[in-house]
Amino acid sequence: MDIVESLKMAGKTITANKLRSGLTMLGIIIGNASVIAMVGVGQGAKIYAESQFQSLGTNVLFILPGTDNARRNTIAPPNRLILADAEAIATQVPSVDKVAPQLNGSELATYRNNAKRASLIGTTPEYSPVRNADVKQGRFITADDVKRNARVVTLGSSISKDLFGNGEAIGQQIRIRNISFEVIGIMDEKGAFLGANQDDTVFMPFSTMTSRIIGRTSPYGVAVQVITLSAKDNTNVETAKFQITNLLRLRHRNTSSASDEVTFTVRTQKDALEIVGNITNALTLLLAAIAAISLVVGGIGIMNIMLVSVTERTSEIGLRKAVGASQSDILTQFLIEAVILSVAGGLIGTGVGVSGILIVGTFTPLKAGVSMGAITLAVGVSGAIGLFFGVVPAKQAAKLDPIVALRSA
Amino acid sequence: MLTDSQPSIDIPVPQKTIIKLEHIYKIYGAGDAEVIALDNVNLEINQGEYCAIMGASGSGKSTVMNMIGCLDRPSSGQYYLDGEDVANLSEAALAKTRNLKIGFVFQQYHLLSQLSAIENVMLPMVYAGIKGNERVDRAADALKRVGMGHRLKNKPNEMSGGQQQRVAIARAIVNQPVLLLADEPTGALDSHTTREVIDLFTELNQGGITVVIVTHELDVGRATRRIVWFRDGQVIHNNLSPQDLSLVAAS
Ligand SMILES: Nc1ncnc2c1ncn2[C@@H]1O[C@H](COP(=O)(O)OP(=O)(O)OP(=O)(O)O)[C@@H](O)[C@H]1O
Ligand SMILES: [Mg+2]
Repeated sequence: MDIVESLKMAGKTITANKLRSGLTMLGIIIGNASVIAMVGVGQGAKIYAESQFQSLGTNVLFILPGTDNARRNTIAPPNRLILADAEAIATQVPSVDKVAPQLNGSELATYRNNAKRASLIGTTPEYSPVRNADVKQGRFITADDVKRNARVVTLGSSISKDLFGNGEAIGQQIRIRNISFEVIGIMDEKGAFLGANQDDTVFMPFSTMTSRIIGRTSPYGVAVQVITLSAKDNTNVETAKFQITNLLRLRHRNTSSASDEVTFTVRTQKDALEIVGNITNALTLLLAAIAAISLVVGGIGIMNIMLVSVTERTSEIGLRKAVGASQSDILTQFLIEAVILSVAGGLIGTGVGVSGILIVGTFTPLKAGVSMGAITLAVGVSGAIGLFFGVVPAKQAAKLDPIVALRSA
Repeated sequence: MLTDSQPSIDIPVPQKTIIKLEHIYKIYGAGDAEVIALDNVNLEINQGEYCAIMGASGSGKSTVMNMIGCLDRPSSGQYYLDGEDVANLSEAALAKTRNLKIGFVFQQYHLLSQLSAIENVMLPMVYAGIKGNERVDRAADALKRVGMGHRLKNKPNEMSGGQQQRVAIARAIVNQPVLLLADEPTGALDSHTTREVIDLFTELNQGGITVVIVTHELDVGRATRRIVWFRDGQVIHNNLSPQDLSLVAAS
């Protein structure tokens, strides 16, 4: 008996009992829908994260104190990345355009009766061009502010709204740690960047932050938490990274290039994208793995219902054998039924999953891609699962003794 | 050797042996639970014969029928079907033998409920690898031959018992087997329908096909030309003529 006959026969059986076929497919449908949706959401997260980094511009570099390993340790070594490093880079590295050292904090900002916890960034005027952070009203911190340790702040758009409502903010005094600061400007709305929201941030001169808020934290000088800088032109990013690394090694007296002795990390936008990519890939994999479990459960569902159906159809199997079906004919028939059910379930599940992705895409910023690869894989895997879990019931059917099977009617 | 006491009027006396059972035993279970269903059965049936297997319930009729139909294997003994030693055939070869040489009719018809009459009749041809128009034409012909040419598309649950049995007979003859086996084919039918179905068997036998029917109904036995009588797994009368049937049945 050839495959076309087997397919026709299986199709007849499947359509003859639609409810049972539907129930058999249910597990696979759910499994497939979740695989497609989960992978889609994972990829959506990746695209979202990447687009955020891409908005930084390709010529941006970050310098962070310590190494990835050191930062993971509970007892952190003293921070050796200092303000003088940033100044040295600005003056001595030719491929670097602008350098913005940065300090982060979180403080309560108050204006009259309004109080709001805000993230605090102490930086220099270069921050604005390097990070594409534009001012909507008033001005950003100037070099003069930094030089004078001026008690001035530029507010993120939403913190300004929280403190002043619709009233005029510029020229007013807000208090942080009981020190008054004059509001000199309000930033453009920018939205969240990987969880940190610039709109909730209060910017102040770097020097003011060190002298009034944080104090001296490193024995080597004025510690810096991040240095963001831009290379002179895009093709020079790797050169800039190389030159900065050399300079900082000299300054930190790192003779060895062994990474655990390095006291800083230089990241380009590309590095950052890679890291984000790795994280979101792992996330996608995790989601896919969870979904794959439901696919396997779906396969077991197929096996269960087919085992029941073999018992139910013993007299049919006996009759088929009596009119000339061999064991392998019966085996093929049941295997094909299992595969058709699981592949059909896979296709329906894909439809459900894709609709899910489209719905998620319209209601969240996760514009998930419907990956052709994931679809092919999921449907292929469903077929394989049907084959795998179909073997046990099919073998049982094939081995039935025709006499016993015929008597059972 | 059996002697054919029936004078053949319509067909020449057949001499070719279709069924040859030699020292067949079928034993179920072991020890105290042992049941000897067939006890040294020797039986020959020639081509073109019209034969009934009769006997009390539990005497081994169905067991020997399953043996003849290659659905079962003997515990010991030899079985030659159409000259071929089938006791030692592989499972696949037995399936092929059932497919091409044997047609089965059962008491419960055993039609597949999701298939129409013609699709049921096509089933043996599906396994024989016969395709397309030939398959449809032959199935339709077989159904016409059993008087069911007008109900090709009906499902089994849309037909009476007698009609279903006719469809089952069409299915049994569609691959032109050498042997038509029926185990209590009229067991579920009323006397009128029984008559019709038996007439159909008679007609098919006159067309040349060897027919063996298991039955406990004397009327059915009388319609055949030879009766094999079983008791306790043994052949008591190898070649009883229908006229003598009442005497044996009474004993
Ligand atoms: N699978 C089996 N296991 C054990 N014993 C069996 C089995 N099949 C049949 N037998 C026994 O073999 C004997 C013959 O059974 P068989 O079915 O051939 O009788 P039968 O002549 O067809 O009876 P009936 O007229 O009631 O159909 C019986 O005693 C029966 O109990
Ligand atoms: Mg019986």
